[in-house]
Amino acid sequence: MTGMDGVGRRGFLRGAALAGAGLAAGGTASAAAPPATGGPVTLPVPGLLPDSALPVPFHGTHQASVTAPPRRVTAFTAFDVTAENRRELADLLRTVTARARFLTGGGQPAPVGITGPPADSGLLGPQVPAGALSVTVGVGAALFDDRFGLHGRAPRRLTAMPSFPDDDLRPEWCHGDLSLQLCADDTDTVLHALRDLARHTRGGMQVRWRLDGFTSPPRPSGTPRNLLGFKDGTANPDAGSAREMDRLVWVGRGAGEPDWAVGGSYQVVRLIRMLVEFWDRVSLTEQERMFGRARETGAPLDGDAEHDIPHYPADPKGDVIPLDSHIRLANPRTADTAGQRLLRRAYNYDNGTDGNGNLDMGLLFCCYQQDLARQFETVQRRLAGEPLTDYIKPFGGGYFYALPGVREESDWFGRALLT
Amino acid sequence: MPRSGPAWLRSARARGIGGALLAGGVLATVILAGGPGDAAGGTRTDADGLPHTAVEVSSSGCGRGWTHARSGTQVFELHNTSSAAAEVYLKSPRTGEVYGETEGIGPGTTRRLRVTLGRGAYVFMCLPDDADAVTGPTVRIGGGGRPGPAAAPLTQHDLIPPALEYQKWVAGGLDGLVGRTGTLRDALDRGDLAGAREAWLSAHLAYERLGAAYGTFGDADQKINGTGAGLPRGDRDPGFTGFHRIEYGLWHGAPAASLHAPAGALLATVRTLRDDWAQERMDPADLGLRAHEILENTVEFELTGRTDYGSGSNLATARANIDGTRAVLSRLHPLLVSRYPGLRKLDDDLDRTRRLLDGFRHGGRWTPPDRLDRARREQVNAVFGDLVERLASVATLCDARRTV
Repeated sequence: MTGMDGVGRRGFLRGAALAGAGLAAGGTASAAAPPATGGPVTLPVPGLLPDSALPVPFHGTHQASVTAPPRRVTAFTAFDVTAENRRELADLLRTVTARARFLTGGGQPAPVGITGPPADSGLLGPQVPAGALSVTVGVGAALFDDRFGLHGRAPRRLTAMPSFPDDDLRPEWCHGDLSLQLCADDTDTVLHALRDLARHTRGGMQVRWRLDGFTSPPRPSGTPRNLLGFKDGTANPDAGSAREMDRLVWVGRGAGEPDWAVGGSYQVVRLIRMLVEFWDRVSLTEQERMFGRARETGAPLDGDAEHDIPHYPADPKGDVIPLDSHIRLANPRTADTAGQRLLRRAYNYDNGTDGNGNLDMGLLFCCYQQDLARQFETVQRRLAGEPLTDYIKPFGGGYFYALPGVREESDWFGRALLT
Repeated sequence: MPRSGPAWLRSARARGIGGALLAGGVLATVILAGGPGDAAGGTRTDADGLPHTAVEVSSSGCGRGWTHARSGTQVFELHNTSSAAAEVYLKSPRTGEVYGETEGIGPGTTRRLRVTLGRGAYVFMCLPDDADAVTGPTVRIGGGGRPGPAAAPLTQHDLIPPALEYQKWVAGGLDGLVGRTGTLRDALDRGDLAGAREAWLSAHLAYERLGAAYGTFGDADQKINGTGAGLPRGDRDPGFTGFHRIEYGLWHGAPAASLHAPAGALLATVRTLRDDWAQERMDPADLGLRAHEILENTVEFELTGRTDYGSGSNLATARANIDGTRAVLSRLHPLLVSRYPGLRKLDDDLDRTRRLLDGFRHGGRWTPPDRLDRARREQVNAVFGDLVERLASVATLCDARRTV
C-alpha cells in the first residue's frame, strides 16, 4: 500500500492527510478558497435567517462561525479527550482541523481503492458541497488539568460551568474537554460532518453528550421563534459590526488573557428544557409579561414593532414592561450594562419525550462573550428567580473557550496553545 | 456488517482459481500521455468537476477508450460490452498493485470507478466471470502528484494456508471448550454453584476466544451463545439456551438442578461442533472479515453490556475477543506486512488494549462496563473504536481477488 503517509496521520487519527488531496483534486478548490485573512465580514441582519446563507470562511483570525448568522440545523457535541499525552492531543486537534477544513470547503473524498472502506459515508453524494457547513471548536476547563501539561494555561475566566440557583443539572449532560458545534441548513450535512469527524478521531476523543437543534423559519417575519412561541434573539448585538464584536465578543490583547487565547471567545452552552405543556396552560397576558414582549409581533410591550426599543426610564415602576420581565432583566439598556451584552446563538431543540410522556423540548442556548464574569454570569445572576424560571429547566451545558481562528493552511486549532 | 450466506457464493472469484492460466491476452499498446489539463479522447468534465473517461470492459477491448491519461482524481465509466458479468482492476503493470476495483459489472451496464492517479504506469485488467483475465494497454502518466493508495491483491490461493492454519488452531480451541464445558456441567451436577460460576466464565471465554463473530459457527452459535433477542418470548423463550441462559441462572439464584438440562444441552452442542469441525471448510476469503468483525461484535454487544446476564464479565469477553482477533491476524501477518503500513501499530495497540483490560480484573472478578468511571469507559470505547476503524482495512485488503 502506498500513499497513506502524511501530515496528521498517526495512531488513532485516520487519513487526515487525505483531505488535502481530495480538496485539490476536487475542481471546487477555487470556489472554496479561503481568504488569506479572515475577521468579521459583513453579514445579514442578526437574527434574520438569510434566504441563502453565505459560506462561512474557514480561515481567519477568529472562527467566523461564531458571528455567522444561525443556520437551520445544528449538532452541538461535547467530547472528552482520550488521547494519552500532549503529542496525541496535538495530533487530535490537527486532525479535527484538517477534517473541518475539508468539510467546510468541500471537495472530492479521496478514493482509497482496495486499501480500506470508502473514505466518505456518501451521505452528501460523491462530492462534498462547499460552504454548506460551519464548524466551531472550543475547549473546556477540564482540558487544563494535569493530563496534557496545560495546567495554568487556561483562559483566565474558564471554569467548569457552575450550577445556578434555578438549574437542575444532570452530570451526563454537562461539561467536556472539547466542544464541537456543527451548523448547516440541512440535517444530512450536519450528520455527515459529525460522522466524518468522529470516524477520524475515535481513538483520540469520545462523545460525552450531544444535543441537536434547529432554527425555525420566521413566523411570519422577523426573528425566529423559540418553542414558547416568542421571537428569541431580537436584541442581539450587531454581529456585522467589527467594532461591536471587538468590544463584546472577541478576546483581544491586553485583556489579561494568555497570548494564545487572543482572537477567541468564551462560549456558554445551556441546555434548557421548556415545560411546554405547562406553558400552554398559561394566559397570554401572563406569558407576555414574563417576556416583556408581545407574542404575536415580538414588539416590546411599550412598542409597536419587533425592533422598537423599549423605554424603561418612561416606565420606572414596570407598569407596562414588568421590572422582572425577561427582557428587562437580561438587558436593562443602561450605559452601565451596555458592556454586559452578549452574542446569543440559540437553537431550539426537540429530544423526544420524557418517561411520563411529556415533550422534551426547549432551547439549546449558546452565547459568546469576551468576559464570562462581566457578561454571562452578571446577566444570569440578574435573571435568577425571574418568573420565567417556573417554565424552564436548565439541565446541562458547559463553559468552553472558542479557540482563535485557524489562520491559514498550515495552522491548526490550538496550535498556539500547544506549541 | 454481517455477511450472510456461504461466502463462496458471493463472487465468481473462486472459479478462476482452478485453471492455472497465465494472464490471458495482453494488448500491448503503450500510450504516452501528459499531465492534467489536456482534453481529448473519451474524456469529458462532468458536473462533479472531475474528468470522466468512458472505458470498455470486454475480453477483446479491455481498457479501450482510455486514450488520454491524466493525473488527479477522476472517474472511469466502465462499460461492459461483453455478454457476461465482469470485474475490473486498475493496477500497476509493474507491481500489480491495485488502485481501484469494480466488481460485478453486468453485461451492457456501466459502472463508475473513482481513483486518484499520479505519475506512473497503469493498466486496466478485465476479468469476465467465465473467462480468463485480460490486461489492457499500459497507460503512462508523465506528471502530476502522487497516486492514491494501492495494494497488491490477495488471491484465494494466498489465503488458503493461513485459513488452514487458523482452522487447526480453532480445532484445538474447541477441544478446550469441550473440556471446560464439561467442568461446568460437573460442577452443576455436584450442586457446586460457586465452582459452576468459575467454570462458566472459563468455558465462556474459551468460546469467545475462538472469535465466533457473525456466523463462524453457523446455527450452533445461537444455541451456544445466543441471547433472547429475536425469540418470540425473549429471555423467557424455551429457545433461549447456552451460555447466557446458564449465566442468567447462576447469577440470579437459580438452584443448580434447574441448570442441569441447559448445561447438558450446551455440552452436547459444543461436542457436536467440535466433532464436525474437521469436516468444515472455512472460506479463506472470510479470514480478513473475521479479523475485523470479532471486535465489531465486541463493540456492539460487550462494551454496551448487552450480553450481560449477570456475570458482569463483558470486559473479560472483550479481552478474549482481542485474543481471538490476534489469532486471525497473526496468520495473516505475512500477507499484510507488505500491504498494510499500519500493521505494527495495530499489533502494539492490540497488546495495549489487552493490558488495559487486564487492569479491570480483580482476582477472578471483572468490572462490568457500566461500573467503570466515565473516563475509564471512554478510554475503553476509544481504543476499541480505533481498533475497528483500522481493522476494517484488513478486511478490504484480505478480500480474495482473482489475478488470472
